Amino acid sequence: MKKLESNIANMAIVLTAIAIVAGGLLAWVNNVTAGPIEQINNQAIENGIKSVILGDRNIEFRVEDPTEKEGFIFHNVYDTKDNLLGTAVESTDKNGFGGALKVMVGFDPEGVILGYTVLEHSETPGLGAKADGWFRQPATAQAEQSAVVDVLLGAPGKPGNHNIIGMNPGDDLMTVSKDGGQVDAITASTITSKAFLRAVNAAYKAVFGYTAADAVSGASSQN
Amino acid sequence: MEYFLIFIAAIFVNNIVLSQFLGICPFLGVSKKISTAAGMGLAVTFVLTIAVIVTYALQNWVLNPYGLGYLQTILFILVIAGLVQMLEIILKKVSPSLYQALGIFLPLITTNCCILGVSILVANATYNAQGLEPNLLTGVIYAIATSIGFALALIIFAGIREQLAKVRIPKSMEGMAIALITAGLLALAFMGFSGVDHGIAVAAGL
Amino acid sequence: MNYFKTIINGIVKENPTFVLLLGMCPTLATTTSAVNGLGMGVATMFVLICSNTFISLLKNLIPDGVRIPCYIVVIASFVTLLQMLMQAYVPDLYKTLGIFIPLIVVNCIILGRAEAFAAKNNVLASICDGVGIGIGFTIALTLLGFVRELLGNGAVFGYRIFPESMNMLVFVLAPGAFITLGLLMAIVNSVKNRKA
Repeated sequence: MKKLESNIANMAIVLTAIAIVAGGLLAWVNNVTAGPIEQINNQAIENGIKSVILGDRNIEFRVEDPTEKEGFIFHNVYDTKDNLLGTAVESTDKNGFGGALKVMVGFDPEGVILGYTVLEHSETPGLGAKADGWFRQPATAQAEQSAVVDVLLGAPGKPGNHNIIGMNPGDDLMTVSKDGGQVDAITASTITSKAFLRAVNAAYKAVFGYTAADAVSGASSQN
Repeated sequence: MEYFLIFIAAIFVNNIVLSQFLGICPFLGVSKKISTAAGMGLAVTFVLTIAVIVTYALQNWVLNPYGLGYLQTILFILVIAGLVQMLEIILKKVSPSLYQALGIFLPLITTNCCILGVSILVANATYNAQGLEPNLLTGVIYAIATSIGFALALIIFAGIREQLAKVRIPKSMEGMAIALITAGLLALAFMGFSGVDHGIAVAAGL
Repeated sequence: MNYFKTIINGIVKENPTFVLLLGMCPTLATTTSAVNGLGMGVATMFVLICSNTFISLLKNLIPDGVRIPCYIVVIASFVTLLQMLMQAYVPDLYKTLGIFIPLIVVNCIILGRAEAFAAKNNVLASICDGVGIGIGFTIALTLLGFVRELLGNGAVFGYRIFPESMNMLVFVLAPGAFITLGLLMAIVNSVKNRKA
């Protein structure tokens, strides 16, 4: 077959034909994949809710349809007898190290943190990106890890506390220890840590109306 | 003030080439002389600003209202290719001197991933707007800042390579190998800026 | 036998990363770990094989004047297709590779092969070229990801080799990408020089 000539009619017809075929094909594939994509997104949210509210507990539960208020999304979780197990809150802080940091935090009805998960972030890999595991590590983990360094440098090991599970932002001052709070920041990632804790505090405030950190910053701004 | 922060962050902290890895091809390809590097930088600034405005408009007034989001990639790349061609024709007629300065770089720009990349980032509002609402204005400011960052990195790199051409280096390291390592050291230097934007934000009381 | 040669040619003699020096953006950006490098390599290979096949099939129907726009439409369609499929079936990898998936469109390797090979050869040869170049690219990316993950995270494909305190984080960050690729390239060059 001979190659088509480059006259205006040929060029226009071929380009249009290819564009239409391509567009049609994409529309069809979009149609096919739209279902699975939505399912996966829903699944991700559902898994998040399950992990931040139930953790390792294996019990029957029911999630109420999400409600939205001022940028926060709330998922209330009930057990089979309609007792409120807790609320999972999606909360975003715009000022992480590399941009927005989106977390989901689970509170029990008293406001104690049951669990959290980082939904979206653009933090530095290996530094700020550690947030996903850092704030649930038991306090002893860091003390053990730094033991070798302490022996070498002769410094007494100070057990760090960065486990927020079980804390209550209404009673506990949930800011980084540098700011006088009770949570140790991720090593070399203070900005990420601050953004994370702001998101957690904001989520608590959206449900319960106040935080301990509020009282402190309110007092200091009055001075 | 936030607008100034977008500038600082996009030029120094999250430099498009040295920390985001967009536009590496021209960064390595047209950085042997400072003069060509400057020309390329100017051409990218010009095209990127226009491309971001056009693609933002398309995304918000055509693709989103009609649910055609899946045509984003195909439409954007065609628009950018067409835009570059159009610019070439217009520049040739309107300003021959500018055309002479930028002309040879324009065809290269279509496949410069920093144009398509930044257009997609702005259209999807997934760039760091420093806490501001991502809209057309912040998008354009981000695009301009990004291209200044691109030009800055390109010109510094070209300056280093001009000097590097005068020294003897091991045979295996010649060419791209030493260029990449130089770029790595430059990226390391730019990492020193990390956190500067937050420092400024705190100092300004934001 | 000739087709086999075409494949080997793409992996060794015309390796897109180490010899042709094309497609540097995804090479540097997505290789923070061996798995990510592998994922990006395979994604690019998929688009490359599809676009090579179709462009070779359509080469006589496409007039020279609108050659490039036609190629771009074909490539962009396959990229979007891949984007949707990945979003639906491998969402984690899709999230990690992020913006570099749509940016496969402007990967010079793909347009380059369409223009230099697929437009001049028959379908079978073009597929072989796509496979060869794709494997070459994938090997390069996986190798780079392997080295960066090992040095920066002390792990290989996610399995820890060194304790965490021995991580050299800089290799996972931006500068490490440039430096590692530079050194790998120097090693490749020195092997080539010794052979010559």
